[in-house]
Amino acid sequence: MTDQPSVAVELEDVSVRYGELAALDSVSLSVEPGEFFTLVGPSGCGKTTTLRVLAGLETPTAGSVRVDGVDVTDRPPEARNVGIVFQSYALFSHMSVRENVGYGLRFRDPPDGRSPAERVAYLLELVDLGGMGDRDPTELSGGQRQRVALARALAPGPDLLLLDEPLSALDARLRERLRVTVRRIQQDLGTTTVYVTHDQAEALAVSDRVAVVNDGRVEQVARPETVYREPASRFVAEFVGDNNLFEADVVGGDVARLVDAPDVTVPLPTEHPAGERVTLSVRPESLRLGGGDVTLDVRVENSEFLGEAYRLHCEWVGRELLVRAPERASGDIEVGFDREAVHVL
Amino acid sequence: MDRELGPAGRDELSGSPARSVTDRLRGAVERNALALGTLGTVAVLVVTFYHPVGTVLLEAVVDGGRLTLGPLLAVLADPFYTGVASGLFAEPLAVPGGILAWLGQVSLSPFAVPSASLGLIGFTAYQAALSTVASVALGLPGAYLLSRFEFRGRRTIRSLTILPFVLPSIMVAVGFLAMFGANGVFNDVLRVFGLGPFRLLFTLEIVILAHAFYNAPLVTRLVTAAWESVDASGVETARAMGASPRRAFRDVVVPQLLPALLTAALLAFVFTFMTFPIVLALGGLRLATLEVWLYARVRDLALAEAAAIGTIETVVTLSLTYLYLRYEARTAGTTDRGRPLTRRPLFDGVRSLADPVRLALLGYGAVVVVVFVGPLLSMVVESVTTPSGAFTTAYWQFLVDQQTAATAGTVQPLQAVVRSLLFGAGTLLLAVPMGVVVSVLSVRGGRGSRAVEAVLTAPLAVSGVVVGLGLLQTLVFGTVLFGQRIVLTGAVAVVAAHAVSAYPFVTRNVAPALGGLDPRVVDAARSLGASRVRTLLDVELPLVATSVLAGAAFAFAISVGEFDATVILAEGVDSATMPVALERYIGNRSIGPSLGPATAMGTVLLAVTAVSFFAIDRLGGRYER
Repeated sequence: MTDQPSVAVELEDVSVRYGELAALDSVSLSVEPGEFFTLVGPSGCGKTTTLRVLAGLETPTAGSVRVDGVDVTDRPPEARNVGIVFQSYALFSHMSVRENVGYGLRFRDPPDGRSPAERVAYLLELVDLGGMGDRDPTELSGGQRQRVALARALAPGPDLLLLDEPLSALDARLRERLRVTVRRIQQDLGTTTVYVTHDQAEALAVSDRVAVVNDGRVEQVARPETVYREPASRFVAEFVGDNNLFEADVVGGDVARLVDAPDVTVPLPTEHPAGERVTLSVRPESLRLGGGDVTLDVRVENSEFLGEAYRLHCEWVGRELLVRAPERASGDIEVGFDREAVHVL
Repeated sequence: MDRELGPAGRDELSGSPARSVTDRLRGAVERNALALGTLGTVAVLVVTFYHPVGTVLLEAVVDGGRLTLGPLLAVLADPFYTGVASGLFAEPLAVPGGILAWLGQVSLSPFAVPSASLGLIGFTAYQAALSTVASVALGLPGAYLLSRFEFRGRRTIRSLTILPFVLPSIMVAVGFLAMFGANGVFNDVLRVFGLGPFRLLFTLEIVILAHAFYNAPLVTRLVTAAWESVDASGVETARAMGASPRRAFRDVVVPQLLPALLTAALLAFVFTFMTFPIVLALGGLRLATLEVWLYARVRDLALAEAAAIGTIETVVTLSLTYLYLRYEARTAGTTDRGRPLTRRPLFDGVRSLADPVRLALLGYGAVVVVVFVGPLLSMVVESVTTPSGAFTTAYWQFLVDQQTAATAGTVQPLQAVVRSLLFGAGTLLLAVPMGVVVSVLSVRGGRGSRAVEAVLTAPLAVSGVVVGLGLLQTLVFGTVLFGQRIVLTGAVAVVAAHAVSAYPFVTRNVAPALGGLDPRVVDAARSLGASRVRTLLDVELPLVATSVLAGAAFAFAISVGEFDATVILAEGVDSATMPVALERYIGNRSIGPSLGPATAMGTVLLAVTAVSFFAIDRLGGRYER
């Protein structure tokens, strides 16, 4: 494995501009071989544009794209050997399932020495559609169509698999099942994969690493756990999962005073210079009913039952706090959190 | 991992020298095929449209290499063309007095031909305006009937409104002759009741009625489509807020119908402004419009004057078409339909007889039968009956009998049929690829695609006689273009002219279908390794195959029915098509004692266009836009 490059795909200072509007603003990313890499962000943030740049469907106004060290910035999509799966499936409705999956093999030889027919059969088996080869795509359900699209993208053995919100058109339960399937197949084949989704929970669930994209810029690239526990910016902290953010002034060493409630002091996990204004994040599951290192008086306005727990919407000094609690609560209560739960942005 | 990447994938990336030279060559052709197609289309358009038409227009403003307004002013200042308005160009200072005089003359009965005061151009616009009013009057109740009532055969009638696009106008003229002529079916029926005979031919009324035959279905079609896309919940909301049915109709429905109505009226005006065969056959030179007079000047070889007339006509029609396109672009984009209004049954037991609306619609139905079914049926009937009413096969015998037809100076009928079909096939070969290329450019061309489309669809707005005249002066007489002397024989010129007028119909069908495809389908194919052209051939065109076929059926029908340019180019009897033969048979009664040969030939033409119509209808051709 020594001859294998440690970077499979690399974007360097890529910008895409439409007149004054910058869809991507000097984005640099690198994806490792075999990695499942996810771009997540709100709609219009530039994640799909990034994917289209990788596919060659969009030409960057500046910057370069390298695959296995080779600059492919100016190559058209057909000369890149990428597989792509869209939310709308984009199956060829005038072709059978088998012809769809085999289409890419008209232009590229199967990667594993199989004949094209064997390769198609193998992939249909892989996505659990063994008996469906002769069907028309229109006869299939949404989940089946998406698996055909996945098999089609994988058939020529792409250097890079691109998934553009592939599950967003499906209902919630099917979405969760299919994302496990996608992940399993990706790991079996070891195909480097870039996944685009607006669903941060999905991003955290399936990825090796996550890039949080906002307004044409990358806010943070890290493992899902890191993105969740140690968000790099206010945007990441608010976008990924529920969160409670507090503005605070450091009074000295590892103690800060909340701006909204100056009589409340919070112990910080790290030292900061006195006088610095910091933003603290405390996840709802780190808040508990009753006291802690920090105790806040709140009024419960609403309790949402989520199945495994309750989400309490609480009012505190005129703003909302979210608390994840094992039981329903109401009226004026105390909630608290400990020093370990505090993350300084 | 490496096994997965595979040798083929590596080759693609590194551009391995293992790829053969032919592969590379094919790749180069594929990469540039769209550019080549565009170049080819532009070349055909330049050679067969822009250069010829440009030559005609230039001839009107260039004299001996110098720019001059002479010929144009000569026409504009001639009272024959511009009537009282000629003073505007001849003696601008005398205009105010002239206007008063003009006003005094126009306010006569609308059907009294005021050609003396309006001039040829004024008269052309006047008859176009009257025809537009007649088309709206005849078409609008049809839209109401088709969109608000349910009855057996409604869908069939709705698809029949496409017919005017495929019915050759010279054939419609023959139908009108057979129906309303002195010995026509109309007078025959009246005679039974002791009325008539009425002399209807060569009157403005019959010309306008024929124009309405042509354009009323267009009004019906466009307004019906708009009416069917009215969202019922809008009307219901208005009613719930307190509007009466009449008020809800005025405030909610009418504003949604108006754009379609205006579009249809504008198109009807443009079409009837450029009218040619109908006036030629039903009105004669006494009722000549610009286009007919232009044709007459060409036949008299007064080419400079013809060029000036053609220029004025083209300026008018291009401006109106530009208006239409601007308007259409502004009203486009209302595609998401809500729940349509429900239709009431047309026949509702005995009570229908007491309902004034339904009675009026039944009366309207009778008018429709006389105006629309009458002429076509009369033509078929007259093709097998002698003027005295006896059955005869003589006219059909004439069609197939080469010997009788071999008289000098007449068109051999069977050959005209064969020639029309061959020209139609030739037109397909040229018009379908051109139409597809223009569709691709207009849908996926990115910036400037609207401009491309406008330049490439201009042929729709220029009269066939002007195109024919231009082709005659350039290609047929021979021209030097790009340093090459190009001479086209009559037949090739005819096919080229047909292709130029037919390919916009291919584009009109294919472009919306291509635009409706999920662009990701194209992206997917390309990422799988297909070049742009392979994607077009493997994926896009198969997905819109029915639209391509419908466009092809349109193109074929347009070619078979084309008269305006063909009659100019097919001066000799050996290149006449069916429509040209029809006109000759109408004009030269010496062939037979009656309209017989023309009606038989017209019936053949009707059969061919009917087949095209069914093809288009089956394939779901688009004509709304």
